[in-house]
Amino acid sequence: MSQRPDNKKFTRPEGINTIQIDAARQMHMRTVQARIPGGGTTTQSSTSQYKIPQNALNGGEPRTITTGRMFSAPSRSPPARHICNNPNNPPCANCGGVIIPSPKAFLPLEDRPSISINNWTISSKKRPILNAEELNNWETKELRGLGALPEMIFGNNFIRIMNTEHKWGIEFNTLDALKMVSLSDSGIRVAHSKVWLDSKLQQQQQDIMGDSSSIDMENSLKIVKNYDWTYSTEYEGTVVGDNKDTYSFKVDNNLKLPIDKLSKQDKILYFDEMVLFEDELADCGVSMLNVKIRVMNERLLLLCRFFLRVDDVLLRVYDTRVYVEFDDNVVMREIKKYEGNYNDILAKHHISHSHDPKAALRDSNWVAENTPIVDKRCEIMTFNDLKQ
Amino acid sequence: MDADMDVPMHDAVSEQLTPTITEDVTSNNDNNSGDYQDIDFKPGSSGIADNKSSTPLQLTPNNINDLDKWIEQLGRCEMLSEDDVARLCRMAVDVVQFEENVKPINVPVTICGDVHGQFHDLMELFKIGGPCPDTNYLFMGDYVDRGYYSVETVSYLVAMKIRYQHRITILRGNHESRQITQVYGFYDECLRKYGSANVWKMFTDLFDYFPITALVDNKIFCLHGGLSPMIETIDQVRELNRVQEVPHEGPMCDLLWSDPDDRGGWGISPRGAGFTFGQDISEQFNHTNNLTLVARAHQLVMEGYAWSHQQNVVTIFSAPNYCYRCGNQAAIMEVDENNNRQFLQYDPSVRPGEPTVTRKTPDYFL
Repeated sequence: MSQRPDNKKFTRPEGINTIQIDAARQMHMRTVQARIPGGGTTTQSSTSQYKIPQNALNGGEPRTITTGRMFSAPSRSPPARHICNNPNNPPCANCGGVIIPSPKAFLPLEDRPSISINNWTISSKKRPILNAEELNNWETKELRGLGALPEMIFGNNFIRIMNTEHKWGIEFNTLDALKMVSLSDSGIRVAHSKVWLDSKLQQQQQDIMGDSSSIDMENSLKIVKNYDWTYSTEYEGTVVGDNKDTYSFKVDNNLKLPIDKLSKQDKILYFDEMVLFEDELADCGVSMLNVKIRVMNERLLLLCRFFLRVDDVLLRVYDTRVYVEFDDNVVMREIKKYEGNYNDILAKHHISHSHDPKAALRDSNWVAENTPIVDKRCEIMTFNDLKQ
Repeated sequence: MDADMDVPMHDAVSEQLTPTITEDVTSNNDNNSGDYQDIDFKPGSSGIADNKSSTPLQLTPNNINDLDKWIEQLGRCEMLSEDDVARLCRMAVDVVQFEENVKPINVPVTICGDVHGQFHDLMELFKIGGPCPDTNYLFMGDYVDRGYYSVETVSYLVAMKIRYQHRITILRGNHESRQITQVYGFYDECLRKYGSANVWKMFTDLFDYFPITALVDNKIFCLHGGLSPMIETIDQVRELNRVQEVPHEGPMCDLLWSDPDDRGGWGISPRGAGFTFGQDISEQFNHTNNLTLVARAHQLVMEGYAWSHQQNVVTIFSAPNYCYRCGNQAAIMEVDENNNRQFLQYDPSVRPGEPTVTRKTPDYFL
């Protein structure tokens, strides 16, 4: 109790007083600030090793972060040619480290890592879930018509891949993904829906028989606001930049992503992973849109995955992969959709997971591997072809 | 890519499944796939309620001694032995079975929402709200699942409940159920920490006895989810038979599951189950029962609390940085002797010795 008087501030005088206790936040901010090179000044470091100042909590000698130990080195070391755009993040191969966005969104705190290779610039941003004001704005304006928004909306998150020379880029953001959620009935119902609705019907009949006017069930058995409550989205990214209408993807289903090149353990210069939105479907499963990216010296790969599990009903995975070969200025986009019956897929678990069979169904990689593919498309874009 | 990154998995191997690793998992756990089929869904299978007392538990110096020892141990986030959990649950049954469906509560009291196994944040909550029993507490359910310390969290709260019966009230949330805990982590955690489902059975058997609502000073109606079209008066809640697994339908289900909505009247979720209630419903309910407020939990809100229905309903959520990644604040609501109310908002606890900044390891995903 002793900490309260020192750290309180009053906010939002609507109806009831609110005290915000932000000791933890302040301590966290100090910790994070202590990580910034040069005590918060933003000069770019070119030293080959990066020393992280230890915060007061951990104590001890400064740690030196080198990342070479964690990954097998590529067969040959290409000359470094990229630039780190955000000095808050530990310096890169010019200087010896992997760029990994940090700190993670642990408290309301922003981080915007960025890297440039040739004329490609990759950047990302992570923030906490939307606050009440932002949420209200999305509900009443941006996504009007969508009955209820997902419980966790990381609405300020994005990953952007931009070609600065051709002024063309592709971005993955939450709002555009949610705009693609259907506003009509998905036809999908939770497993216990029939039991639930039947009991309401029965109740309704009893009320009519007994002439009970106590409960007005007359209209209550209709679903009033229809929208796809599973938040299934076929979002494949948003094309951005001044020339977004100049260049376009061309479908070529004979193409395949170059797995051999992507399987090489080339040094990862930049890696980020984030959730764009997530909903627990009122504890009847999970619906989640997740994006991750890894950038190597010659290429990058991005995976945007929509994962849906409606318990005892169905599983669905929509994958969008974006692959960029920097020197050739080639962008490929591959879309794969998987969908299957929950129990059919659960039946495949028995050899693959240990004591908790449902763990398999929480692992979207396992689900994608064990679920029938229902749709596939591959597209390519080069800056040579102008849009017709 | 893990879908439920929040749900702790039983071992690190199966979190990063690749076809080759899968083989290893199989060979190490060849007889485990049968576990799931063996789960005894039948309420009461743990036996903790076999010898229920006909009178409320009276604490003896011996009991108090044990409880204080357990509370101290759990306060360090160290779980109890299986035998101690069995004793704890037996004692708890003889406390909570005598509480009413609508537990009357006097002011002052501090009302809290979902905790979800975030043990260290629960300790932070007691620091911010004041230690129990000096401060009276009302928790509105969802102690388990999602967080990494469901076992320690629920053991601690139950031990406190027995030790300070009139100072702390723990209601049932929709996660205090056999079915939900199998999907969202508590079952898995019990298996991982105790090596069997026994502790899970004991706790889920105990959950059946938890009261489902509370009434603070006859003015604030507190429950986990929301209102039900089959409940017009608080007296109707008193008539329910609550000692059972949370049903899939009916008034008890609604009280633990429903949500307020901007739309008026009763709505059915497009999921095909579950009610939403509008402002007209809340106003009518408060008027009929002479209430000033319905306080509920159940939904994540960035600020830790949220008003709806023109302050007829408040949502309180007490798990900061939910699932260790949402970045939300938590809140609790203090109601003082004069029925003045105020919210306390707080951040995740900062634990000495633990890094506050975590780094993600790059992975060669394809």
